[in-house]
Amino acid sequence: MDWGRVRFFLGEVFRNFTRNAGMQATAIGTVAVTIVLLGGFLYVRAVLGGVGHDLLQQIRISAYLQQNASNATIAQLHAALLKDPRISSVQFVPKSVGLKELRKETKGVIDLSILTKNPLPDVFRVSVHSASDVPAVAAAVRRMPGVANVVYGKTIVRRLLHLGAVMRRVGIAVIVLFLLVAGIIISSTIRLTVFARRREIAIMQLVGATSAFIRLPFICEGFLDGLLGSLLAVGILAVAHAALWSRVFRALPWLHIDPRLVNTPLFFAQLLLVGAAIGVIASWISVGRYLRT
Amino acid sequence: MISLRNVTLAYPNGVRALDNISLEIGKGDFVFLVGHSGTGKTSLLRLLYREMAPSYGEIIVDGIRVDRLKRRRVPALRRHLGVVFQDFKLLTDKTVWENVAFAMQVTGAHTKDIMRQVPRTLDMVGLAHKSRMYPGELSAGEQQRAAIARALINNPKLLLCDEPTGNLDPANTTEIMELLQRINLKGTTIVVATHNQAVVDRMRRRVVRLEDGRIVTDEERGYYYLGLGQSQILSG
Repeated sequence: MDWGRVRFFLGEVFRNFTRNAGMQATAIGTVAVTIVLLGGFLYVRAVLGGVGHDLLQQIRISAYLQQNASNATIAQLHAALLKDPRISSVQFVPKSVGLKELRKETKGVIDLSILTKNPLPDVFRVSVHSASDVPAVAAAVRRMPGVANVVYGKTIVRRLLHLGAVMRRVGIAVIVLFLLVAGIIISSTIRLTVFARRREIAIMQLVGATSAFIRLPFICEGFLDGLLGSLLAVGILAVAHAALWSRVFRALPWLHIDPRLVNTPLFFAQLLLVGAAIGVIASWISVGRYLRT
Repeated sequence: MISLRNVTLAYPNGVRALDNISLEIGKGDFVFLVGHSGTGKTSLLRLLYREMAPSYGEIIVDGIRVDRLKRRRVPALRRHLGVVFQDFKLLTDKTVWENVAFAMQVTGAHTKDIMRQVPRTLDMVGLAHKSRMYPGELSAGEQQRAAIARALINNPKLLLCDEPTGNLDPANTTEIMELLQRINLKGTTIVVATHNQAVVDRMRRRVVRLEDGRIVTDEERGYYYLGLGQSQILSG
């Protein structure tokens, strides 16, 4: 390892970085704000996703059987439901249990003692693994022999699924927009540094430095802008996460955050990676454009 | 060392900076390019170090087809040659030592080679004792010597000088030209574009004269003006 070369290279990076201290601060600040917004947005999306997920998890398909369904038909139907891989659980509620439940739920509101016979049908309550399968499973169950009718929160399922799809699309658009803004700011900063060092670049080119060699210190500068900006943002988000979110959840106990989306260390590592990548890509483009002219 | 065949450099507005130039320069030659401002001297040098590409014609420098050279091959060409300018093009925030070492550092040289080569080159141009000074603390002649040291640091076979004495007084001009002669004696090919009639007439080397982008005369041991020394012009 030639330490002299390493020292020269680090010196170049440091010189670049400190030459436009004000502009670097602006770039780092912009990246930080962008990543905080991005992180906050992903948090909110995760929370809303969690709420939607909970609602969808609670949705069950009720399959009402024909009044004259025989025990054999019921057993066959039960076996067929259990065989479907999309279905997570099947609960059989005989009409007697259904009436008991109804009595309990309507106690003091409706007097069910006037009934001379049980008018309720037997019911299968079916849960599915994925909420998006609810409509298809419901349709399949409806066609099975012995099933008179199928009921599920059709409208709410459709709306929630639709909302989820729209959120994903809007989310991607917003993220791309944030990243573009950060990229443009870093790119402008690097362009200023390139401009400030144009004499040095001209001499480098004159004595035969390769484009890769000229480019590298600027790429490192962009990387530092992105990394420092996202580090700052991660710090802010971590403080907010520790201080604010616990209170939010205490105030709104029914909120559930989807842990897969904001598993904190991984989530923060991803934000750092995004910040650094934006810095590298933006500086690569702006130096490349200068060297080509 | 240098071969130009039917080289034309035309700008998009139709102006021809160089018009069908053919020129051969051998290894170890010392050649002056003379002519008024705007006759194409600087353009010719720029073609040689591939700052520009010709519109037509063939250019070979040290065996490399410069006119067809791809952008990514240009650094390799430039490591074979040194370039010196009228305005020195030194980095004002680096010392003389750092300016000279810079040319090796940015081409990926090893530190021990840099430590060996820089003092040797500074010694050759007579600046060893001022290696820690900044360009602003040097005279114009010394700055040009530092620039020459930087051009020589990678041991080029060819040194291109564009008005190297344009900013210098007569005493410094003489020093710089003597330095270039010493470098030439060691085998480096030197091409000097200049206005300086006194220098050309005193040195009596090969003189290529350009007018309106064309070579009008090419004399071994020539004068600035065809066949006439400065003293003859003054007395005539």
